[in-house]
Amino acid sequence: MPHRFADQLSAYLDDELDLPRRRRLEAHLAECADCSALLADLRAIVAAAPGYSGRGPSRDLWSDIERRLDEPEVVPIGPALRPSGGPTVRRFSLPQLIAASLVMAALGGGATWLVSHGKPSDRPTVQLSDLAVRVPDSTKTVAYAESQYDSAVHDLEQLLAAGRSRLDTATVRTVEQSLQKIDTAIAEARAAIQRDPANGYLSRQIAANMRRKLNLLRAATNAIAART
Amino acid sequence: MQALRAVTHADLDRDDVALAAAGDHDAFERLYRRHVPRVTSLATWLLDTGETDDAVQEVFIRVWQKLHTFAGQSSFTTWLHRVAVNLMLRRRQRLGIARKRHHDDETMLGELSAPVERPDLRVAIERAVALLPNGAREVFVLHDMEGYKHHEIAELLEVDPGTSRSQLHRARLLLRQQLAS
Repeated sequence: MPHRFADQLSAYLDDELDLPRRRRLEAHLAECADCSALLADLRAIVAAAPGYSGRGPSRDLWSDIERRLDEPEVVPIGPALRPSGGPTVRRFSLPQLIAASLVMAALGGGATWLVSHGKPSDRPTVQLSDLAVRVPDSTKTVAYAESQYDSAVHDLEQLLAAGRSRLDTATVRTVEQSLQKIDTAIAEARAAIQRDPANGYLSRQIAANMRRKLNLLRAATNAIAART
Repeated sequence: MQALRAVTHADLDRDDVALAAAGDHDAFERLYRRHVPRVTSLATWLLDTGETDDAVQEVFIRVWQKLHTFAGQSSFTTWLHRVAVNLMLRRRQRLGIARKRHHDDETMLGELSAPVERPDLRVAIERAVALLPNGAREVFVLHDMEGYKHHEIAELLEVDPGTSRSQLHRARLLLRQQLAS
């Protein structure tokens, strides 16, 4: 039979009882073997629950997942950008897409820098509202975005160089090899786009690889910070 | 002399997250293989059975897209599970899944008898959770297995925090009963 205190046992385990109720319950537990046994069982369940191992899916999903990894992410356009006539897709020019991508990536990199250095006043700040104003002027935006990107990459490369001894050798080697591959891919795409400036695929490749480089540097410096 | 220490899952995750964020599919596959069992169980417990595979795919694709936002302040597991829970609950809302009550038998609460003495308790709990009534199961999964607080669960499931507390207690009692039988 449940005792009148049994309903409070979960709250007791979760430390949610106020002091008077807690004391009354503890006095009862000292006398009641049933409630003490129940409490011990509930405690065992609560302790074991987070360690569940899980079970695999009905089939291996990896090949389906991998096929979709590099599909462009669908970003819904907010109501402010949507004409009143109904849902339509807003199209941006490629320079605008690259610029927006780089500004967002550089903002992320800047955030890492700020966390690491803790001197926000030393750094230029960029508001999202600035981005919205700048996007229509694609030439200025690209130049601005590239300077932000270069600055963020420079900061992160310095952090990586200073903290590389905190990472294991295999990780450093993998990161450096990946950075080299990304730089090569960017350089090749830049050379190719000189010959074919209207090639959208190359523009997207450049933007994606610049973003990858920044993400890799951020992840590596985060790993250094976590091991400091 | 520098002390050697075992490489943990968290270490492996940290390195693979760094590589995957840079576009390395192999590193992301390693993350997938390490974490897919628990994400699958979450989907099984929070969604209808037919939704599991799609939901698991959706979680890992979303995680891939958001990897660059993972700042490493929590463990990757914690971050991944937060993303998974949010996506699964949103998916449920989106699909308007009617939650059926599988074993909502109040008489199960009647007897609180034998003590729980099982060496394979974790495995046993995992199996028994699937048999809980929906409301109790969701709260137990979120609170005791995933570490959410009652006020967070109340927000996620759109219930009162008091309901979350009572469902949790109910779930624990039912589990105790099932494990003792």
